[in-house]
Amino acid sequence: MKQKRLFSFLTVVLVAVLFSTSAFAAGSYKEKDLPIGSSSEVLMVGEIEPTLMSVTIPSYVPFHISRSVEGDNKVISPRVVITSRSGVPINIDVAYTTVNLSGLKGTTWSDSQYVGENQVAIGFQPETLSNQLPTTLEQTKWLQANSPQYLNLTSLNPYGTSTLYVVGTLGAAVPEDSSFTVTPIFVVSKA
Amino acid sequence: MKSAIQSTWKKRLLPVCAICVLLAAAVLLFTSRKPDDSLELADNATMGILPGVDLEQRQAELQQMLDESMISFSINTSPVFETGGAEGNLMLENPANNAKLLVVEIYIDDTQELIYQSKALPAGSYIENTKLDKLLEPGSYDATAYFKAYREADHSYIGQVGADLTLSILS
Repeated sequence: MKQKRLFSFLTVVLVAVLFSTSAFAAGSYKEKDLPIGSSSEVLMVGEIEPTLMSVTIPSYVPFHISRSVEGDNKVISPRVVITSRSGVPINIDVAYTTVNLSGLKGTTWSDSQYVGENQVAIGFQPETLSNQLPTTLEQTKWLQANSPQYLNLTSLNPYGTSTLYVVGTLGAAVPEDSSFTVTPIFVVSKA
Repeated sequence: MKSAIQSTWKKRLLPVCAICVLLAAAVLLFTSRKPDDSLELADNATMGILPGVDLEQRQAELQQMLDESMISFSINTSPVFETGGAEGNLMLENPANNAKLLVVEIYIDDTQELIYQSKALPAGSYIENTKLDKLLEPGSYDATAYFKAYREADHSYIGQVGADLTLSILS
């Protein structure tokens, strides 16, 4: 007898819950009957989401340079992979490059591949063959020393990646037993 | 009687000991003698391949250094501030996979004025809304946010990257 009452009670509760849920759902949609041929206002709320830039990019790029490297490019470079997690296309520029040649006595900087005996030139080149260091200096974007530049290195599609290598060359009289530093500042911007 | 036996033993033992010492000296001399045609080995030589000869190995070392320098970050490219002194949605993020501390500095492009500097953000944290350090007049400002990376262990500086943004001060 008790079980029967309990079963009846639970059935009533279940039915009540089901009806209350559907009533709430109906309320949230604000349904109403419209006669044929009439019109009604519909409120549409659009929320503007901020454009986020989300990127993984190196803060410095180590490299070695040596006349013994075969080809026109004398730089041994790591593979510089830049990754975007942004929903918008982005540009990667170099805004400024700090160059310190004090360790290389008598050496000056060159903004192109045509270096004098005492000159060194460094730039970036996009990867053309997967996992292979560039051997030529074609398509190189050369860094300018200690001056604002705004050099576009690459552009990335939404959620895209881009791979670069450091490339460069040096004159015959540049001493090989010393080191120098090249510090470009990468700047990411919306394309 | 006892002393007579001892002196007899001494007399017998001494020559035996002398022979043993001579034999040991001869063996030592023989083993330590170098062949006449041998070269003297360099005592300052390090066993292994000379660093720098293997191109792939050098590239791998550079790659490891590069990987340490990688910075991940997120920022709102168009943050909006209701007033110059109000909070705006800068949405700065130092993702969990960064494994380094980030300090963010924002400079106005035209004047190079520093208008915001965060404290160090640990990896896996973000600042959604914040106030600028300088009061700006209403308007739109082109600015650059610099993300400066520091090692977690000793707080030594790693490097920096920049991001262009446009700040809007509504009133």
